[in-house]
Amino acid sequence: MFNKIIQRLHAQPIRIKVLVFGLIMSTLPLLLISSYYYYHVKMDLKERILDKQELMLDNLSGEIELEFNQMFQRVQMFAALTEQDKEKGVFYELLQQNESIEEAVITNEKGYVEQRVSRYRLNIPDENEQWFSEEMWSAFQLKERIYGKVEFNQFGQPVMKLAIPYMENGKRKAVGATIQLQKIIGKISSLRQDHFSYLYLLDRNGKVIAHQDNSKLHQNKLVDDNRDVLGVRTEIKDLGWTMVMEQSKSTAYAPINEMVRNGLMVVAIVTLIVSIISIYAGFYFTAPIVLLDKGMKNLKAGCQAAPIKLNRDDEFGKLSQSFNEMSEKLQEKTQRLKQEKEQLNVIVNGIGAGLALVTKDYKVTWMNPVLENWFNNEEVELPCYTLIGGTSQPCENCPITCPGLTGSADMIMRMKNKQNVERLFRHRVFPLNHAIEGEGEYLVMIEDITEQKEMEEKIIQTDKLSALGLMASGFAHEVNNPLATINVYAEDLIDRLEQNDKDLDEVEMAYYLSKIKENTERCKRITGNLLNFSRKSNWTLSQINIKETIQSSIGLVEHLLKKKGIIFLASIEEELPILIGDSLKLMQVLVNLINNAIDAVENEGKINISAKKDKDSVMFSVSDNGCGIPKKALPRLFDPFYTTKPVGKGTGLGLSVCYGIVEEFGGSIHVESNEGSGTTVQVSIPAEKRVREEKPYNLSEKES
Amino acid sequence: MKTKLYLFLVTILTVSIIFLTFISNDNKTPVKIGVVMIGDGRHEKLTGLKKGMQELGYHEGDVKYVVKSAHDDEEVLDTKINELIKGKPALIVTLGGIETLKIKEKMEQQHIKIPVVFAGVAAPKEIGIIKDYRLPGGLFTGINNYHTNLSGKRLELFHDLVPSIQRFHILYDENIEVSKLSLENTKQAAEKLSLKILPCNVSDPSFKSKLKGSLQKNDALLILPGFRMESLTKEMAQFSRDNKVPAMGIYEQEAGVLASYGASFFDQGYQAARFVSLIIQGNSPAEIPVELPDRFRFIVNQDVKNELGIELNKNLIHIPDFIISEEGEVSP
Repeated sequence: MFNKIIQRLHAQPIRIKVLVFGLIMSTLPLLLISSYYYYHVKMDLKERILDKQELMLDNLSGEIELEFNQMFQRVQMFAALTEQDKEKGVFYELLQQNESIEEAVITNEKGYVEQRVSRYRLNIPDENEQWFSEEMWSAFQLKERIYGKVEFNQFGQPVMKLAIPYMENGKRKAVGATIQLQKIIGKISSLRQDHFSYLYLLDRNGKVIAHQDNSKLHQNKLVDDNRDVLGVRTEIKDLGWTMVMEQSKSTAYAPINEMVRNGLMVVAIVTLIVSIISIYAGFYFTAPIVLLDKGMKNLKAGCQAAPIKLNRDDEFGKLSQSFNEMSEKLQEKTQRLKQEKEQLNVIVNGIGAGLALVTKDYKVTWMNPVLENWFNNEEVELPCYTLIGGTSQPCENCPITCPGLTGSADMIMRMKNKQNVERLFRHRVFPLNHAIEGEGEYLVMIEDITEQKEMEEKIIQTDKLSALGLMASGFAHEVNNPLATINVYAEDLIDRLEQNDKDLDEVEMAYYLSKIKENTERCKRITGNLLNFSRKSNWTLSQINIKETIQSSIGLVEHLLKKKGIIFLASIEEELPILIGDSLKLMQVLVNLINNAIDAVENEGKINISAKKDKDSVMFSVSDNGCGIPKKALPRLFDPFYTTKPVGKGTGLGLSVCYGIVEEFGGSIHVESNEGSGTTVQVSIPAEKRVREEKPYNLSEKES
Repeated sequence: MKTKLYLFLVTILTVSIIFLTFISNDNKTPVKIGVVMIGDGRHEKLTGLKKGMQELGYHEGDVKYVVKSAHDDEEVLDTKINELIKGKPALIVTLGGIETLKIKEKMEQQHIKIPVVFAGVAAPKEIGIIKDYRLPGGLFTGINNYHTNLSGKRLELFHDLVPSIQRFHILYDENIEVSKLSLENTKQAAEKLSLKILPCNVSDPSFKSKLKGSLQKNDALLILPGFRMESLTKEMAQFSRDNKVPAMGIYEQEAGVLASYGASFFDQGYQAARFVSLIIQGNSPAEIPVELPDRFRFIVNQDVKNELGIELNKNLIHIPDFIISEEGEVSP
């Protein structure tokens, strides 16, 4: 029950709790104190009432006892008088001394009245007038003093007879007195009592002989312990009477009940006042909370929450102010979020790349429309490695498989689209730090880079051809020299054969032919280099001979170096790490850098090329002491088609292509230049690392 | 809504409790007691009533007395009784038989039911005021002053006091029922006691001359009850002294007569207070037994005794209270 009340109270609003709290705090102590005092005052009152009743009964019963004792003594003294002394005057004196004695008689041995003096009646007795009742006469024979029953005389007055025997001439006579009780009874009956208490007198048989309520007169067994009264009783011993004083508890406790009523009135007034205060306090304290709650609900529902205006400087005032600020910021952020979401949606849907959210169980939970478009509906239920990678096992270098793996599992893959056309895709996996578990902890991004790759290849090829074009006169001149030498040796040999020069022996002939062969091979090598450089090739992986690659690169620009009289120094460390990649692409980078250096230096300039180990990378450095690059041009060096060279000398693609190739190697390119003092370009390529893994077989495997 | 309902209920509760508290604290108004008397000669009963009420615990503020006196005029008495009844007292105390009879008549005529306590009426049953002494059965109860029945006893006592008296002139009022009953009682006693009595009707205008004419030596006057007798008492006392005839009346106030035996006005009023208290406490007058006087006083006027030079019975010389002056001072 108590728990239910507590539970119910818990479910109530704060204002009800404040009200209940106020009521309990105000009325409970009041009620407890009142109850305590009520109990003690009630006990005290009860004690006082009983004391008072007892005192009154003692007084009244004492009065009665005293009066009867005196009466008895005087009657006894009268009885002790001799026959001669019992004259009428003595009788009258007895009556005069005792107002309650109605008449005094002397009876003979048979109980007949011999003499009488009465207040009301004539003194002359009737003939054989029996004074005793039968019962009293019987008792009189045995006792020395006898009280009769309470009787009523001819006028209805309560009277009682008292008789004392005395001996005269050997006869047992009696002195009797009829005692008028109306004064005693009247006094008891009519004595005013406070608070409705009442007195009554019972005779020895338990009969009511006096009562303040006359209707109770002459009833028997009035005293009943079960009655709800406070009362005391006392016995008048000689008479065998019992005097009782009672008061009903309802009237006895009336003053306390009145006090309780007044107390209740106070409690009710206090309750009313406290209720009003508590309700006001409840509203005062909860109104801001209600407003805040309403505001919160509006915010939760996405509605614009109106600012809460509280003209208070307390905690609620500050809280509402904070809420307003928070609400404003939240709305601003929500708006921004919407904006960003919209932008993100546009981006995600318009980016052209496929995006998917993948759980750590490889389950694809979401795909953007681009990616959805790439797959059939029935395929989307497959794990990501099957859906995207086409494998039956999770990929080894994937962050989902190996959470400790750094990077984004960047790789290029080939895949046929719905039209069965083979396309090149770039696949990356990004772990999401704030993802909800089960909703996709990883973002997989797949880009169709087929066109991009083709374009890159075209640019590289264009750049190559451009370089070749620029180097064409040099090549021609380079080839021309051995050809001229061959021509000279051939003409001289022909002339001498025609002249049958006898000095032309086999040794000299062999010399001529060897010269011709040597220059022919030289031409072949030059053209071979040229062909090799100009060859359009895909990215191939092989171990790169760094030294040979550098030499081949130098070979391509050797004529220009010679032509401009440039001092060219090459420094290649012997113990270089192994590089894996496409050596032609690396050569294209180096040729581009050397060409740029040649363009930068004047005649008799100086160019250094070096290759050295730098931690786990190979650092290639091409430096010159040329004119340098203006500072403002440095940020744009790798932009396509940006060039500082004069028209016809450069396409602006060189460094951009270099940057792309180095990126593909997984390396970096860094340019330092001081205008007027030269430029140094450093290319760092990681060693023994497969930067890109081409999987041409993916498609075939998938297809198979 | 809940809060408003709660406030409404608490307000109603509070107002109810305050209302109930004020109702229960309603001040008690004093009990209005009407008192009617034929003449101021009975004022001593009112004094006794007030004293008795006081001793029973009714103090000023508890009761309020509305006193109407007819100044010994029966016609005025009717008016006064009407005024009293109109005032609707809680109960009425009548100070004598004539007042009681009149008020009974008025109440019966007007069908008014107000409890009445008679503070001393001789033979109330016989004159029809009550049905029974123990259970009066109506609106009337009070004190039977026993003066009717006591008439014979007074004759006996008078003879015992002055044994030399040979003839008793009995003064009574033929028009007063109580007086006639008293005469009957006296006659019966005289017969028992073998005493000679001579009735004398005071309603006869020439009764005084007739009485004077018939007086002999050792004659005495015995005055019977009746309100007219009360007004004649002083005159009769003077007559007794003038003619050297001992007289016995009822009340000690009857200064001038040799002796009196009866309940005093004060005592009757004092005793009536008990009845008033019982009725105030809720008892019905029909159930309150009529009482005899608690006390009869036997008084001898010493001055009159001396004046008349009468010898009193030595056996009874110590019994009566002797009045030593006409102011009514009593020596124990």
